[in-house]
Amino acid sequence: MLELRGVKVAYGGVEVVHRVDLELGSGEVLGMIGPNGAGKSSVLRSICGLVRPSSGEVRFEGRVLNGMAPERIARLGIALVPEGRHVFKTLTVAENLRMGEMDGREDRAAVERMFTRFPILRERAGEHADRLSGGEQQQLAIARALLGRPKLLMLDEPSLGLAPKTIDLIYELLAGLREEGTTMLLVEQNATRTIDFCDRCLVLGSGIVRASGRREELRDDSEVVHAYLGGAR
Amino acid sequence: MTELAQNLIDALALGGLYALIALGVTVVYTVMDMMNFAHGEFIMLSAYALFVLADVPFGVAVAGALLTGVLIAVLAERVAFRPVRRADLSAQLVTSLAVATIVQNAVVAFVNARPKSVATPSFVGEATQIGSLSVPNLEFVTLALTAIVLAGLGWMLYRTRSGLAIRAASENFDMARLLGVRADRVIALSFAVSGALAAVVGVLLVMQTGQVSPTMGLTPVLVGFVAVVIGGFGRMSGAVIGGLFLGIASSLLGAYLPDGLVPFRDAIVFSLPVAILIFRPHGLLGSAIGEARV
Amino acid sequence: MSAAGLRTRRSVAVSLLIPLVLIAATALVGVNGTPSLRGTVITILSNMVIVLGLQVFIGNSGVYSFGQLGFAAAGAYVAAFLTLPAAFTALQVPGLPDLIANAQLGPLPSTLIAAIACGLLAAVVGLPLMRTSTLAVPISTFAFLIVVYNVLANWEEVTGGVSGLVSIPRTTSIESAALWASVAVVVALAFKWSASGYRLQATREDEVAARSLGISVNGERLLAFALSGVLCGVGGALAVHQSGVLNPATFYFAATVTTVTMMVLGGARSVFGAVLGTVALSTVNEILRNVEGGASVLGVVSIGNTPGLAAIGVGLILLATMIAMPDGISGGREAGELPWPRRLRRARAAALPALSGAAPTEKVPREGELRAEGISVAFGGLRVLRSVDLTLRRGEALGLIGPNGAGKTTLVNVLSGFLVPDSGTVSLDGVDVSGRSPSRLARAGLSRTFQSALPFPHLSCLESVAVGAMGVGVGRRRAVATAAEVLDRLDLRQLSSAPAGSLPPAGQRLLGVARALATRPHYLLLDEPAAGLSEGEGEQLVEILGGVLDDFGCGILLIEHEMSVVMSLCPRVQVIDDGTTLRVGSPTEVQADPAVVEAYLGSSYPVAIGA
Repeated sequence: MLELRGVKVAYGGVEVVHRVDLELGSGEVLGMIGPNGAGKSSVLRSICGLVRPSSGEVRFEGRVLNGMAPERIARLGIALVPEGRHVFKTLTVAENLRMGEMDGREDRAAVERMFTRFPILRERAGEHADRLSGGEQQQLAIARALLGRPKLLMLDEPSLGLAPKTIDLIYELLAGLREEGTTMLLVEQNATRTIDFCDRCLVLGSGIVRASGRREELRDDSEVVHAYLGGAR
Repeated sequence: MTELAQNLIDALALGGLYALIALGVTVVYTVMDMMNFAHGEFIMLSAYALFVLADVPFGVAVAGALLTGVLIAVLAERVAFRPVRRADLSAQLVTSLAVATIVQNAVVAFVNARPKSVATPSFVGEATQIGSLSVPNLEFVTLALTAIVLAGLGWMLYRTRSGLAIRAASENFDMARLLGVRADRVIALSFAVSGALAAVVGVLLVMQTGQVSPTMGLTPVLVGFVAVVIGGFGRMSGAVIGGLFLGIASSLLGAYLPDGLVPFRDAIVFSLPVAILIFRPHGLLGSAIGEARV
Repeated sequence: MSAAGLRTRRSVAVSLLIPLVLIAATALVGVNGTPSLRGTVITILSNMVIVLGLQVFIGNSGVYSFGQLGFAAAGAYVAAFLTLPAAFTALQVPGLPDLIANAQLGPLPSTLIAAIACGLLAAVVGLPLMRTSTLAVPISTFAFLIVVYNVLANWEEVTGGVSGLVSIPRTTSIESAALWASVAVVVALAFKWSASGYRLQATREDEVAARSLGISVNGERLLAFALSGVLCGVGGALAVHQSGVLNPATFYFAATVTTVTMMVLGGARSVFGAVLGTVALSTVNEILRNVEGGASVLGVVSIGNTPGLAAIGVGLILLATMIAMPDGISGGREAGELPWPRRLRRARAAALPALSGAAPTEKVPREGELRAEGISVAFGGLRVLRSVDLTLRRGEALGLIGPNGAGKTTLVNVLSGFLVPDSGTVSLDGVDVSGRSPSRLARAGLSRTFQSALPFPHLSCLESVAVGAMGVGVGRRRAVATAAEVLDRLDLRQLSSAPAGSLPPAGQRLLGVARALATRPHYLLLDEPAAGLSEGEGEQLVEILGGVLDDFGCGILLIEHEMSVVMSLCPRVQVIDDGTTLRVGSPTEVQADPAVVEAYLGSSYPVAIGA
């Protein structure tokens, strides 16, 4: 479904991603881990169009995404839950969800499903989103992304800034999505949990892919693990 | 007593006019974070449409003015403001200054520097009797338009999907795009609304003074800016409050200032914002804009 | 004028000489030319003084003032009054007080008096204006310009009204104009590189961070505003002594746009830019004016008399610059900072002051504590903090942990003065500091960092850290020495001359810690300094902070989610959950507390730390 070939990303002359290749099939859950500054967020940004790759190709269902406007890419079926969540603070929870409905038509049934999956949002539907805690905002951001019925869901460090207990909750939700067959690309700093959760993982370091494989393979590759993953949490 | 009532209605009408100007500026500000100096030229060009369409039925000419306002606003956005979309507040303000200079002097160069008179429907110059008051019809029109515009804007922003998109985009543009909001459309829409508001003001000004001149947009836009600052940035309600305040103050000063000070009315009016800002640095309704909280 | 290690002597000399050479060259062009050319050159030079006045305020503060021409007007009128013979004054402006009307001074004294008067006027006007928010300043200053115009145009007995004044002695020569322009260049550079200038630049780069370093934003802006008023007043005086006539429209909207364009074209952040932009735009303007009067282009197309063309040209240039070259021709750099050919560049690397090698100069006395009591904060209906207490002692590290949304950052905002609590008090070494502003707290010894670093992108790393020291009142020389020492301690020395904006996010956060350390705080509040760092980088941070505790003796409050960092560094940990303190104790005690484990750590957290 998603293919990156030789992708490079540079910001103002500084090359942050030197070369990334990846493939993601429908229904798969791919993780991207690595230390800070490895380029993980930049890869996500290059996929959803916030930055244009300086070379290489990003293909989604055969279509080249390079240079396409983010809103067009979103409408093709790629949803990003960005680092820091970025819910609309001046809008209510309900209005935030409404913004997720991409084709503009109000779909009450879909919203109802979200409320069932994320009960805390039903409780807070009329409140402004800045009143929500970090974990609640994360749920709102995911629900909002899901309302667009994306073919590919990308999450950038969903556990950042959350307490371990809240992270457990979020990952339970993600596990549920995985069971439903949602294709996901998950970027995380916290390596251990990500390796456990995802079908496959890419280990990024200094802008290139250092290692990749299924959880069993990566767990055995202790050198790589040690160099880039740090201790367990 | 009658005189007071008369002055109050005059003041209210002027306040309404100023509120419309401030609103036009605010609509763009909420989305783009930019104070658009060229708004005065949107007003001026719409007014010139009336001059150009002088031989046409007034209603049609007004429609022409509206169209002009919308078109020039959307055009200015596309050509001049889109390239500087990512720049900071000051840079955008200066860019709008450049646009204003260009447009204003283009009219000077290619039409004429001198004011031109424009004929307006006779009912505009007349007044209606209400009890012992004689209220100029123009003031009715102004007040009515202000109310209609306010209601319309409020409805659009809070009850339509486009309005929601504008509000979302004005808070976090990139995130809105990631959710499929077409950036260019939202911005063009806000400029179009701004241009329409400018056109309404332009028409009202022509009806008031009976003439157009290339520099006629300068004072209104500054009034609009000052009104926005007084009211508190970035909120429609602030724009309205600021505009009303400034209009009422200006009008009442004009009516009650001692003769010797009358020529200095503008100086006094434009000193008011500073006085207000001393006590309420974020405006009457103030919310802290541009002050990053961590 | 050596900027004490921030730049080489060579760079300073070049930055000073190039603009002066440019001024001299401009003057030379006009010296032996026709009267018309001489007049043009004098106009360029007097405009330059005004543009330099604009640069001093706008370039360093990043805030646009559109009212500076009001000071030029004031300067022009004052200079005119003082140089007009008594008879003429009585005729044109009968309302003027006798003392001024009868004065007939030479060009120099009248210009000086005008300059002082304008400085005072600017200080008075600036006092309320600088208190307004950053976006309100451009508009308020524009309002000021209108007020000035309105008064000048209507106060007929004193100003001559709309028709203005005539027969003013025309005393400005190319030499005097060039001299004044040179003086203005020196003044502008000296200000930019002074401690005050640096503090102002910091407010331009990031206002919040600047406040946290002890900088008074309003105060610094006011100073620059007054200085700017002085320079604009001089420019106005020069102009009026050249033209011999004066009316309110001379220094109004069109002139404002023109001078602002000159500054922007050259590059607002640089003095060199102001000089360059004035010369460049004036040249273009002259050409356009000739075309305006009717000219043939290349002998082929002829354009009739079209007033307004020159102004359109200026507007187009301004627009093009904002779109394509927002930092102007100079890129915001002084002449000595431009990339010269390799041959010359070898000598350019700034020589950092040698480190003393000894332990840091002052060790903070170990007495005293930062104490918060009963802090409550609610945002609307949402209670974020409920009567929270916190005590931070000097020489100790206190960890502040808790689930997201528990109120940790809010608490730090209260402690550092960025947020006023609904109730509760904060005391610093026994003194009640509740409600004090961040900059006052910084000067009292409390500094903090921010989750998002808030760097000063256009300042070098060394300058950024030095500003920290300057913010709390240290002179420039000592500030640079302190900065070098702090950078060395944080292993950032090799990045000294790199622009702070070029560092990756983790580096910027570390630089933020360096910046805060340069204020020599007694209490340092760190907001998630380890976020996004790898394990190795986190260990490094712990080591650095440990060293800071030992050597500086300050108290460190650490908000963190990275458990390893908190547990290694902090002997005491305070857990906040849902706005209240859950537990205060040693790391092991806290981890073993079932309430803490339940509320925050979650069930899957390994109990044994450091395994």
